[in-house]
Amino acid sequence: MKTINNPIFHFFLAALTVVCLPLFLRSGVLASEILIFGLAVAACNLLLGFTGLLSFGQGIFFGVGSYVAGILLTRYQIPVPLMLLLSVVLGALIAVAVGWLSIRRQGVYFVMLTLAFSQFFFFLAYSFSGLTGGDNGILDVPRPVIAGFDFTNLWSYYWFVAVIFLAVFALMLRTTQSTFGRTLSAIRENEARASAVGFPVRAFKIAAFAISGAVTALAGALHAMLIGVAPLSSIEYHTSEIILIMTIIGGSGNLFASLLGAGTYMLLADVLSTIWPRWLLLLGVALIVVALFMQRGLWGLIETLVSHITATSKRTPNAATERPLHRQADGGKA
Amino acid sequence: MSIHNEALKRSGHSSGKHAPAPHPVALETSELTVAYGSFLAVRGVSLSVRRNSIHSIIGPNGAGKTTLFHALTGRVRPSAGSIRLDDKDISHTRDDDRVRLGIARSFQVTSLFPNLSVQENLRLASQGRTPWQALAPWRSINHNKEAMATAGEVMERLSLTQVAGRAAGELSHGQQRRLEVGMALAARPRVILMDEPTSGMGVDDIEAMKELIRSLAADHTVIFVEHNMGIVMNISDTVTVMRAGQKLVEGTPAEIRDDPEVRRAYLGNMITGDIA
Amino acid sequence: MTYLFQIFNGIGIGMLYFLLAVGLSVIFGLLQFVNFAHGAFYLLGAYFTYDLVERGYSFWVAMPLAAIMVMALAALTEIVLLRRIYKLPHTFHILVTVGLALIIQEMTIIVWGPLGGNVPPPEGLNGVIIVGDFIYPEYRLFVIAFTAVLAVGLWWVLEGTRIGAIVRAGSESSENTALLGYNTLRINSAVFGLGAGLAGLAGALAAPIRGVEPFMGLEALGIAFVVVVIGGMGSYTGALLAGILVGVTQSVMASLWPEGARLMIYLGMALVIVAMPRGLLGRA
Repeated sequence: MKTINNPIFHFFLAALTVVCLPLFLRSGVLASEILIFGLAVAACNLLLGFTGLLSFGQGIFFGVGSYVAGILLTRYQIPVPLMLLLSVVLGALIAVAVGWLSIRRQGVYFVMLTLAFSQFFFFLAYSFSGLTGGDNGILDVPRPVIAGFDFTNLWSYYWFVAVIFLAVFALMLRTTQSTFGRTLSAIRENEARASAVGFPVRAFKIAAFAISGAVTALAGALHAMLIGVAPLSSIEYHTSEIILIMTIIGGSGNLFASLLGAGTYMLLADVLSTIWPRWLLLLGVALIVVALFMQRGLWGLIETLVSHITATSKRTPNAATERPLHRQADGGKA
Repeated sequence: MSIHNEALKRSGHSSGKHAPAPHPVALETSELTVAYGSFLAVRGVSLSVRRNSIHSIIGPNGAGKTTLFHALTGRVRPSAGSIRLDDKDISHTRDDDRVRLGIARSFQVTSLFPNLSVQENLRLASQGRTPWQALAPWRSINHNKEAMATAGEVMERLSLTQVAGRAAGELSHGQQRRLEVGMALAARPRVILMDEPTSGMGVDDIEAMKELIRSLAADHTVIFVEHNMGIVMNISDTVTVMRAGQKLVEGTPAEIRDDPEVRRAYLGNMITGDIA
Repeated sequence: MTYLFQIFNGIGIGMLYFLLAVGLSVIFGLLQFVNFAHGAFYLLGAYFTYDLVERGYSFWVAMPLAAIMVMALAALTEIVLLRRIYKLPHTFHILVTVGLALIIQEMTIIVWGPLGGNVPPPEGLNGVIIVGDFIYPEYRLFVIAFTAVLAVGLWWVLEGTRIGAIVRAGSESSENTALLGYNTLRINSAVFGLGAGLAGLAGALAAPIRGVEPFMGLEALGIAFVVVVIGGMGSYTGALLAGILVGVTQSVMASLWPEGARLMIYLGMALVIVAMPRGLLGRA
């Protein structure tokens, strides 16, 4: 179990996925989307799996990134690297604001607040249609040409996304292994103790939000360039919902599980939606099945399989990353 | 030699290099009051805890011990009065900030990070003294050598070294209680607050805990709330008896045992235990 | 005069929001369970009404029948599915009820199509009332009066009856109810049915005002959360006050800045959270 939960191994798996996707998929859009949502889901996982915060507001940051790309690229011709940097900064700032307000309440109240804020930002985008294009979104978002390299072709854009994905994924792995990441795990495990031991818990939660918001906004910006539109739907409740669903399906204990969750969801959605337009019904059933029988997600399933095969069922205690069954921030009546 | 002088002498090695000028009183409350709505759980309690002494707080259920304890840890805010640590007002300091000022606590119901290893629990507890350092997502956990070393020392002291790699939740009950105390020790505090340290323990474990608390006084000031009168009477330098939110009596264990008021408060039958 | 019209409209909508929020609150109070399918039950209430009216039943039959059908369906869901997951962390409560909401929404589209429809105001109430130069639809006045009576009845149930006492004891501590010696299983189903039934009733009453469409559930869920957050979870009067405040804000803003009307609600919520994190009248 130690080997399959090693962060270097997780990076290797992620790199392997990046290399394999073009071999098995015909659609460059789908392949890129898997990596882009992989980032957004990993960012959601940083909150859910590592900090114990179930955020229904990830679509806010995704949408913000998407609009930053749309607005800056179509109206101001800002260079793409600078645009990406700005989307990261704005995503982090908005995440700090949303996080700061939402963590004033705990447990389910926190969840309800994040959902309400996602509605707030949706209606903000909807109401200021001069800036966001309202229902139509912002059209004709170009793909980048950087230093003579042309990424406008779908598959070349895939490699542009892939490099960014691997870099950010490595940074996030590093974050989860750092003193910061370990402290987040401590907060997830026992918030009262973390505070009694001397950690300013709120500051850590807000910092986790900032990182999560930054990465999700980056994913949103990459997505807008991929599909050529910054649509209103990027900031919708539905985006928050699918990011969260992918996170839970993958498993909330480690970051590669997030890529697994994103990939599985996107592939299934791609196949099922062409077969049956009402496939969301099946998704609903799948969610219930996951909650009842597969609480540690796909990664948990793999862990169980591996431990059966190797029969080294003894748990290693080295553990923050090992027990994906996280605990929700204490939802008591305090 | 009076305990007072003894305390002064011992206080020299109680804290790190930035130790403030030794003050004979480690922790002091004056007219401390905590109200829940209109109910005064603690009213006008003045305590003076000498440095490197063992000070226990006892009283019947509902006497306000736990609320007083929470006020000292910073979990509840006093509605009136003040708390001073080494003559510095900390009445309105948050619980996590109090750790940096030198107060650490253990919980009545064991409160650990159950899925993290013993070593990691203690490392986190030690890191809690410099929490803002831990905000850096690029810094590896090995960066803080001091925290790693402290975790090692505390495990050694509490005989937990053999289980360093085990998840805290998998330890035996006695080991968990020791780790619970270790979590406070790892912060290298000047004052340790313990909430019923022997709660739920078997006879053998209680004896070990008693020795542990006694040994803590060499480097720390210990304040604890406890129901087990054997321990209280045995190891305390000073006992404060509370009733109905107020301080009833305070004195040495011998004085407390002979006090008629205390006997009445406890219906005469709960104060037992020999005096060392 | 237009403002008076908008304020009356707002009170009517607000009372429906109040029903939604109270349903959510009751379920959360007893079961410590956030029902993300709450909006879906509202959706069902509206569609059942629509369907029955389309089949030629009077609204006066359709409306209560729809609410009862939603209540029964919800209680059945509780028995078959939800009671298996109470012990799991919140994440899985949310996952299951989100799944349930998706299933209900997609079923709605399969059965009634993606376009939605209209429900005419019921016979006897399809006119307007004229007082001086104030003109107001009768049905909307009926909604205000009917929900007001219902609110009093609910208040009586929650404050004055045994089941209310159980719900309140349950929200103090989940073990309390078991200690009181009640059959918790049956009470859980009944309370879940009641809470979801209130959402269904709100949907049934809303149908003649706003029509039906498959995505009305999600909007209702967001609003119910906002009302609960503003009013304070577990507070009956808080839900009433916040429901009406939200309704009136939305309605008045709709005449001033139609696009931003709903934005204002969420902005108001953010302000309340900053000023009073526990909501206007919340205790916990």
